[in-house]
Amino acid sequence: MSLPAWSGAFEDLSTVRALPLPGDAREWAWGGSTGAGIKVAVVDSGVDGGHPAVGGVDGYVATVPDPDSESGVRFVDGKHDDLVGHGTACAGIIRSLAPDVEIYSVRVLGENLKGKGALFLAGIEWAIDNGMDVVNMSLSSKSPNLFGPLHDVADDAYFGNTVLVCAANNAPGPTYPSQFASVVSVAATSGQDPYTLAYNPNPPVEFAAIGIDIEVPWTGGSIVATGNSFAAPHVAGLTALIRAKHPDLTAFQVKAVLHAASQNAR
Amino acid sequence: MTMAVELQAAVSVIRELFGAAACSCALATEDGAALRFVAADGAGAAGIIGVTLPVGRGIAGWVALTGQPIAVGDVSRDERFARDIAEATEYVPTSILAAPLLDPEGETIGVIEVLDPLRGDDQSALGGQRGTGAELAALTVLASQVSSVVRLSGMVDSVPGVPPELVPALAALTSMGDGGVRLAREVLESAATYVRGVR
Repeated sequence: MSLPAWSGAFEDLSTVRALPLPGDAREWAWGGSTGAGIKVAVVDSGVDGGHPAVGGVDGYVATVPDPDSESGVRFVDGKHDDLVGHGTACAGIIRSLAPDVEIYSVRVLGENLKGKGALFLAGIEWAIDNGMDVVNMSLSSKSPNLFGPLHDVADDAYFGNTVLVCAANNAPGPTYPSQFASVVSVAATSGQDPYTLAYNPNPPVEFAAIGIDIEVPWTGGSIVATGNSFAAPHVAGLTALIRAKHPDLTAFQVKAVLHAASQNAR
Repeated sequence: MTMAVELQAAVSVIRELFGAAACSCALATEDGAALRFVAADGAGAAGIIGVTLPVGRGIAGWVALTGQPIAVGDVSRDERFARDIAEATEYVPTSILAAPLLDPEGETIGVIEVLDPLRGDDQSALGGQRGTGAELAALTVLASQVSSVVRLSGMVDSVPGVPPELVPALAALTSMGDGGVRLAREVLESAATYVRGVR
């Protein structure tokens, strides 16, 4: 048995038949791209913009509980810290692949276990409403109560041309929005090549990138860590490269390009 | 009382299973703002039990807030993490596995942590299953069982007058997972109704 969940699905992968792209698929998809002009939201624990691996953050917003508002959530602009280090890891990974993207930290992990679902939901909505091209979510919810609201917001993103990249939960079982068809779902596979990309012909988890025992940026330096969390930002970074190079592609076309650029695609 | 005994037994067994330096279990406080360590075994155990940490900090906080397990192979270069742990336990681990205790609705009720699981020798009962991924899988399954224990023990502790001989039978139900907990709840409610009627 091997975990993070879904990692095993990417061992001994069968070949998948992809739409033909001109020439080398990967070269066509992101060759020469730096991600310039693309806005990437990191929905997480906050981002340490001063971390050398992150290289600056272009915008910050934090979701906080607000019993007086209709949604129960208030947005707080302005620089914030990374409460854990996890969001900094994700942002640093994205920056390593797409050096010229604009990174926005959307902090949805607060200081209380109660009401965290509403903060998560509001963070995704903020990213869509503020024109993010790519959203990295290295977290998901197991709550059945959030299935409907997260499904709706994932559809809003899909039709609004925001690509949601979601890590599968490290533990088995359904989580949202990672297993919705409208998102790009990601699990971790072994290796050290940051451009590793594979497609699983037996979804719901569709893509894999590296995320097992890899060195990642963290508050105060770096750590060696394992998790689907660290695979998702690799795919978010590649997605940003694709979007910068091919700005006219829709969300579902971007997924088709990721499919075609997977190493088990023919 | 039942819960403390059950959790202490659980963390002791889990520490042995992983051949780890320490294993601890923290439960969410009622207001959801903190994690309170209620059971621990191994290095730093005496210092951590009773410690309360804000939920929005560190590896345990991330696990609690996201409901996801995580494996960190080398925390030694994370200054903030090391300081947090040092302040709390006076034991600074190199590696850590952490998994959430979840209720049936997916809400976090606690976190279980394994510090410095052994690798590269034969001292872990996981044997050939060692390696970060397999360890994370094992801890996730164990955390699910511990979650059942927490919920059941909480029920037992909250119902006055439960005959002591009923406790092991109820505990056995936890091995059935969520279905067992539901069954145990029904048994307890019936017992409580009976006790109230007799009185």
